Amino acid sequence: MVIIYTTPTCVYCQMAKEFFKERSIAYEEKNVSSDKEALDEMIQKSGQMGTPVIDIDGKIIIGFDEAAIKESLKL
Amino acid sequence: MYDLIIIGGGPAGAAAGVYAGRKKIKTLLITESFGGQSIVSDSIENWIGIKKITGLDLAKTLENHVRAYENVEIKIPGKAVAVKEISGGWGISTDKDGVYQSKTLLVASGGRRRRLNIPGEDKFNGKGVSYCSTCDAPVFRDKNVAVIGGGNAGLEAAIDLIPYASKIYIINHGPKLTGDPLTQEEVKKSPKVVIINNAETQKIIGDKFVSGIKYLDKSDNQIKELPLEGVFVEIGSVPNSEIVKDIVETNKAGEIIVDHQTGATSKPGIFAAGDVTDEIYKQNNISAGDGIAAALSAYNYLLNIKKQSPAFAEATAGKPSNE
Repeated sequence: MVIIYTTPTCVYCQMAKEFFKERSIAYEEKNVSSDKEALDEMIQKSGQMGTPVIDIDGKIIIGFDEAAIKESLKL
Repeated sequence: MYDLIIIGGGPAGAAAGVYAGRKKIKTLLITESFGGQSIVSDSIENWIGIKKITGLDLAKTLENHVRAYENVEIKIPGKAVAVKEISGGWGISTDKDGVYQSKTLLVASGGRRRRLNIPGEDKFNGKGVSYCSTCDAPVFRDKNVAVIGGGNAGLEAAIDLIPYASKIYIINHGPKLTGDPLTQEEVKKSPKVVIINNAETQKIIGDKFVSGIKYLDKSDNQIKELPLEGVFVEIGSVPNSEIVKDIVETNKAGEIIVDHQTGATSKPGIFAAGDVTDEIYKQNNISAGDGIAAALSAYNYLLNIKKQSPAFAEATAGKPSNE
């Protein structure tokens, strides 16, 4: 299960979403700019406030870290 | 051995890549990403020929254009970490895959955000301290924030924050804002914005996250504290010239000094273009043009090496051939 915490203007969020789309990996997007609960959840999970935060089966990746994403998904 | 290694994938590096491609020289372009510093821009409205484009889309068009040339290899994400002089050229070490050799080198590594270098800045990076208002402004909904810097970048950050933050302090070290008058007007229109002049930020404080800043008010020499939850640092940029700083001449700001006709540095065989150089105007379009000039100069340098004895090539290095 992949969750991405995003803001609409964050370019690395776009890049992360495209990464998953290109590989047909389903993800849930939570827009922290309009969803206060999602923002709190993101800060609690990652201990920081920058987007994107990517939650892959409970493993938290801060930023669009392609190598870490590939490793978590065993790509 | 490559004919040319280009470091950087911003407008300068990408434009150099396209021209190297058209000259059919064996080229390697090493970059962490395409698009340069404006990749995070929401809207670029001065890239000539396109009224409006996002930073990400510009990055894609640059990448696609370079990829159209088979003789240009691309190492992405790649980071050049050191440059050494070797026989007949340069050895460029990268963070992951070892050393690449090239007869010429084009440094188009751009700039990066200048940091405050004050206590708390590192500790709270991502925990209230941000260097990207476009990215992070929405996270600061209903919060008090500070923008450090009263130039254009600072004012634009304030504009990004106005729809979200409840109060925006602009902390400006000088007696008045230095950004464009039009942008100043727009910022001053918002009742959320408070401008604090003559203020030198000294410390970012907090526990797990930012809870405030301390600054020196130079008008009364008092240290003052502002409680707030976000700090956006917008105090200009520094050139990414470290990897060649012992080889080529740089100025006080660390910018590589180039011949503005050719892009040649003080070291024959090394060229530079864009924001890493002492070019006055740090602009995408100018960087692209500079990148082209530097690539063509590298090409001419290669022709000279081919034509002439090594000793003679050294003497004429960096100057365009008359062909």
